[in-house]
Amino acid sequence: MTSLLSACFANEVNVFSSRHYESDIKLYKKFTDQTGIKVNVISGKDEALQKRILEEGKYSKADLYITSDAGNIVTFDNKGMFQNSMSPIVEKLVPSNFRGNNWVSITKRARILFYSPDRVTRDDLNNLSYEDLANSKWQGRIVIRQSNNIYNQSLVASLIFNNGKEETSKWAKGVVNNMSRAPKGNDRAQILAVAAGEADIAIANTYYYALMLSGNKGAEQKLAAKKVLPFFPNQNNRGTHMNISGGGILKYAPNKDNAIKLIEFLLTKEAQQHLINNTFEYSIIDGVEPHELIKNMGLDFKQDLETDIASYGKNQSDALEIMLNAKWK
Amino acid sequence: MGNKINFWFISSLLISALVAIPIITVLGSFFEPISDYYNILKKTFLIDYLTNSLFLLIGVLFITFVIGVGCAYLVSFYIFPAVNFFKWALILSFAVPAYIYAYSLTAFFENYGTVFAILNNLFGEGNYNAYIPKFDGLLGAIIAISFSLFGYVYVLTRASFHYQSQNLVELGKNLGFSKKRSFFNIILPSARPAIVAGLSLVAMETLSDFGSVSYFGVSTLTTGIYSAWISFDDLTLANRLSSYLLIFIIGLFILENLSRKKAQFHTSSKGGHRTKTLIKLNGYKSFLAFIFCFTIFLISFLFPVTQMLYWTIIFPQHLENLDVFKLFLNTINLVIISSFFLIILAFISNYGNRVSKSKLLQILNTISISGYAIPGIILAVAFITFISWMDSNIINYFEMGSIKSFFIGSTLGLVLVYFIRFYSLANNGIKSGYAKINYSIDEGAYLLGYSKFKTFKNIHVPYLKNSIFLVSILLTIEIIKELPITLILRPFNFETFATKAYLFASQDLLEAAAAPSLILIIIASFFILITSRYILKE
Repeated sequence: MTSLLSACFANEVNVFSSRHYESDIKLYKKFTDQTGIKVNVISGKDEALQKRILEEGKYSKADLYITSDAGNIVTFDNKGMFQNSMSPIVEKLVPSNFRGNNWVSITKRARILFYSPDRVTRDDLNNLSYEDLANSKWQGRIVIRQSNNIYNQSLVASLIFNNGKEETSKWAKGVVNNMSRAPKGNDRAQILAVAAGEADIAIANTYYYALMLSGNKGAEQKLAAKKVLPFFPNQNNRGTHMNISGGGILKYAPNKDNAIKLIEFLLTKEAQQHLINNTFEYSIIDGVEPHELIKNMGLDFKQDLETDIASYGKNQSDALEIMLNAKWK
Repeated sequence: MGNKINFWFISSLLISALVAIPIITVLGSFFEPISDYYNILKKTFLIDYLTNSLFLLIGVLFITFVIGVGCAYLVSFYIFPAVNFFKWALILSFAVPAYIYAYSLTAFFENYGTVFAILNNLFGEGNYNAYIPKFDGLLGAIIAISFSLFGYVYVLTRASFHYQSQNLVELGKNLGFSKKRSFFNIILPSARPAIVAGLSLVAMETLSDFGSVSYFGVSTLTTGIYSAWISFDDLTLANRLSSYLLIFIIGLFILENLSRKKAQFHTSSKGGHRTKTLIKLNGYKSFLAFIFCFTIFLISFLFPVTQMLYWTIIFPQHLENLDVFKLFLNTINLVIISSFFLIILAFISNYGNRVSKSKLLQILNTISISGYAIPGIILAVAFITFISWMDSNIINYFEMGSIKSFFIGSTLGLVLVYFIRFYSLANNGIKSGYAKINYSIDEGAYLLGYSKFKTFKNIHVPYLKNSIFLVSILLTIEIIKELPITLILRPFNFETFATKAYLFASQDLLEAAAAPSLILIIIASFFILITSRYILKE
């Protein structure tokens, strides 16, 4: 009975999230302190969360779905599961290429190369792009995770957007040929493989490296990270592949207004600072200082702002098909 | 007694209907067109899925058989140093779920992992990574699953050895058999139903494992079903893959039933139950027995616990952030409600089977244990699909509002799906207990004028006390460790130690996963210990 009453009068917002950082939870608490709106969270893996929202349909209590990777958000948007998530504040703060009508980015990350300075020369790196990784000169030297990983799917989707399906198919076969081992482990494991000498170049997201360098994962991880250097590819053309964490308000959200308030809160300077200090991502709004370790990686690199990040969602199944056909595990 | 429609029939029917829900849901959508994804998969990795599942199964069955039966044999027939300690200590491996074992294995052996840290601190800086063996991929999954599951074989085989009458041991002696020959020709065959039951549990758990194979990136039928269904919305493909999986499982069922039938080992009522005389091992034999058991204990329990403890100590902030009390309450709440219903209903169904001896009931009984064969992750999704279907086709028709919020994201839904998943565990435990009560005891009771209920209450229940305890620890531990169902169906702001550990690990925060993992292991160990004392007293 009490739960029924509270369901009718509650000042709350229900969040489905695939980001499981303790720092996110602390941020939600701050939001509750400021607004009196209680944040209820279910965290889980994207596929399972999405399936549940879809099956619950119009009876779903979910207001806001927060996830990593534009591919996840856009595919879900294409299923018609979001509603307009914009407000004047959101539109003012977030650059237009990092939002759709129904979803908005909260933080940014880049998927870049990490190389061994002992085995890869400045010359090798000169003007290096993602496209060049299919070149046979890298045979047996590249590590990257499996094809079922969404970050890879989005990267390949962006290549399809820029180079077409056929070119990208050839590219994927070349990369599979150049792998030093069958794909396994997460992004950090790829960086560790380069540090340990199993490969010369790893493809991984920026924040993994910063997290290792921070020492939060122990002295050995820091030691390993120091053996590799970051490299931002495609600097002489469209720029480095960017991805986002973000969210959208769900179609049947019972607490839409509160969900907008939460999004706006996440885009405040204070919240952005908190997010990027803890997760080592890039802020989506202007005027927020990145973490020292991220600054050290270099901030003056060219970001790919040409590729429509909505294409990560649209080309997702093509990307997976291409990778599977190339026998990318 | 015949096929009368009575209380037993109705209750068995209801239980099997509940458990059949996911199967019907899976099969219900079998006529949809095949997608492109299936054709791509067929060309590329379908064979990998099948061979990976098969190698995983063979590897795990082999290892669990050798160490499960090996340990059970040693502690049941011999005296050697610390044998009484090993008797219960080996059960502690139950406390470590395969996915947590997988985290430990990775943390310990990975590049720049714990082994590297140890070598680095002992011998100074160097590139030790190349010399550290890597236990990941299929090999990692086989090891993680084997060491977390061999307890099934150990516990059931040991119980069977425990009740093996002295006569069997003496028979070997009288025939002039060597110890080895006695073992292979008498002891092992007489324990076969228990061993096969243990192995079939191991096999089903292995095939439905999701946590550790997905962590190691091994594509099996289960991960294939998951991605076909959940990522590609391709029910047809999911069903096709599910049917391959079901073929494996049905094979196991048949195997188990055949071997049970072949070996009708009721404890003989004649000749009494004499305590076995244990053989004292001396010299190197005693040392080898000790080393064998100790190594298994070390690898299965001490190793993951130490790794998790080490991390919890060097990263104390993650423990401080954990709301241990709330997680504990959530977990225990689920355990108590679910175990209660599972055991009561398993009793009703088995008793019904026994008194009515109906073929139809036996078939229903077989259906009702099939939930165990279906991966938890598929069960959870099938349950949601079924509730949605009910909601839009039946409930809406009568304009009764929605039932979804009662079943999805509620404790009720969680308990129902746990019920489907773990009913076979409860049922098999009670069933094997019943198998040991000779029918002549029931007949004797009826002759003395006992009613069926009185027979049940005064004879079966006390006789089965041991089974009930065994079943309740198995259930408690399973529920504490359960991951995919809880993950998908849990209410808002509801976490267990298992979901907390998994979510951290999936975010590559293994060091944060250590604290909830360690607490999970400690709680599970506690339950194992209190019950194991009881078992050992018997």
